[in-house]
Amino acid sequence: MLDQVFALTRRHLRAGALLLVAALTGCAAPGPPRPVGPHTVELSKVPFFPQDSYQCGPASLAEVLSFTGVPVHPEALEPYLYLPARKGTLQAEMIAQARRHGRLVYPIEGSIAAVTAEVAAGHPVLVLQNLAFSWWPIWHYSVVVGFDPDARTVILRSGEQARHQEPYELFRRTWTRAKRWGIVVLPPGQLPATATAHNYLQAAAALEQVAGARTALPAYRAGVTHWPDSAPLWIALANGLQAQGDLDGAEHALRAALDHDPSNAIAYNNLAMVLADRGRWSEALAAVHHAIALGGPFLEQFRNTLTTIRCRQRGDCPSR
Amino acid sequence: MEPLRRRARTFTAVVVTSFALVSTGLPAAQAATISTTAMMHQSDIANQRAKIGAMLKRQDVRKELLKLGVNPADVQARVNSLTDQQVQTLADRMNQLPAGGDSLLGVLVFIFVLLLITDILGYTDVFPFVKKTVR
Repeated sequence: MLDQVFALTRRHLRAGALLLVAALTGCAAPGPPRPVGPHTVELSKVPFFPQDSYQCGPASLAEVLSFTGVPVHPEALEPYLYLPARKGTLQAEMIAQARRHGRLVYPIEGSIAAVTAEVAAGHPVLVLQNLAFSWWPIWHYSVVVGFDPDARTVILRSGEQARHQEPYELFRRTWTRAKRWGIVVLPPGQLPATATAHNYLQAAAALEQVAGARTALPAYRAGVTHWPDSAPLWIALANGLQAQGDLDGAEHALRAALDHDPSNAIAYNNLAMVLADRGRWSEALAAVHHAIALGGPFLEQFRNTLTTIRCRQRGDCPSR
Repeated sequence: MEPLRRRARTFTAVVVTSFALVSTGLPAAQAATISTTAMMHQSDIANQRAKIGAMLKRQDVRKELLKLGVNPADVQARVNSLTDQQVQTLADRMNQLPAGGDSLLGVLVFIFVLLLITDILGYTDVFPFVKKTVR
């Protein structure tokens, strides 16, 4: 009797250990492919790089980067991404690498609806999952490339599986345990389907910091086309154009910002600098006076602008 | 030995001076154009201020504050006068908190928020990162 109990326990332990191994490698056992429903959306052109034991970070990022036209292999990304001590990759590193390859990274809102909306718009979503428990996490990156709204499943490039179908509920659980972290990676100039003007500007500005104004300009242009009444986007576009030496374009963008938001002090201040660069001193002074009158947290810099313009007009700015 | 020491001293002087030049040179070198980064940072601060303000308007928070003998309007005024740096620190701490439901976690978050507010007011001294209001 007692022997039987022990045998039972042993068998359970063995089964448990097998499950454990499956979870550690981050791969669920491949099941038979399910029939695909009529409303299924699937981005079958997203390439698949079967991952080595712990390399789901580099593999997933290579998949989305390649899809956007950056031909890159996981091995090339690995030295920048994989942290041997942690046996994994940090989210911040994934984002930084994507930007270094000149791609816009947009963190999506943590809902299945946002994931499916992006996929439906043709954007694979790179997600982080925790396949185990909050107190004993097994982190895993994968790429959502499709979904079947009738069967309520998502289709993932995951680990060694090119087409892993996972029920919404299971996906939601493993994704929630990873704080529902997900990003879309896009060529500058394409808009995420679920973007807000503010978050989009943040994404574009971060791209500019890493990859430079020239790379980020198409992102700003697409932004002002989609959100023409966002003054901050126009200002960011103007800054990028000014950095590229396109003063004409910068002036136009800043005037557009002021058309939509006549009380935008930053737009007046930056317009003053652009006009000064073009030698239009009286217009520049009028603009900076507007900025100072409007005030705000940058008032000190506005006064600095005034001083700079005056001394440049006189030609006696102290060389720093 | 002596020339070596002198050379070392000269080297130190050069390093110190160049560091000083770099650190004082930065603000002066800053162009008068407001950069996109600076603009975004400012709007983030404004958003965070609004978030803290919204939290203070919560009915349950107001009730608890009144129980503690704190006038919620008074708290709002103090939050408005926090520096950008302080707002940033507070927001960072709040973001590190797990999203609270109606569970034990929710209660803990709630207590945290209350203590945060009373800390700002100078009634309590729980969080070292809160700059106390001198009363």
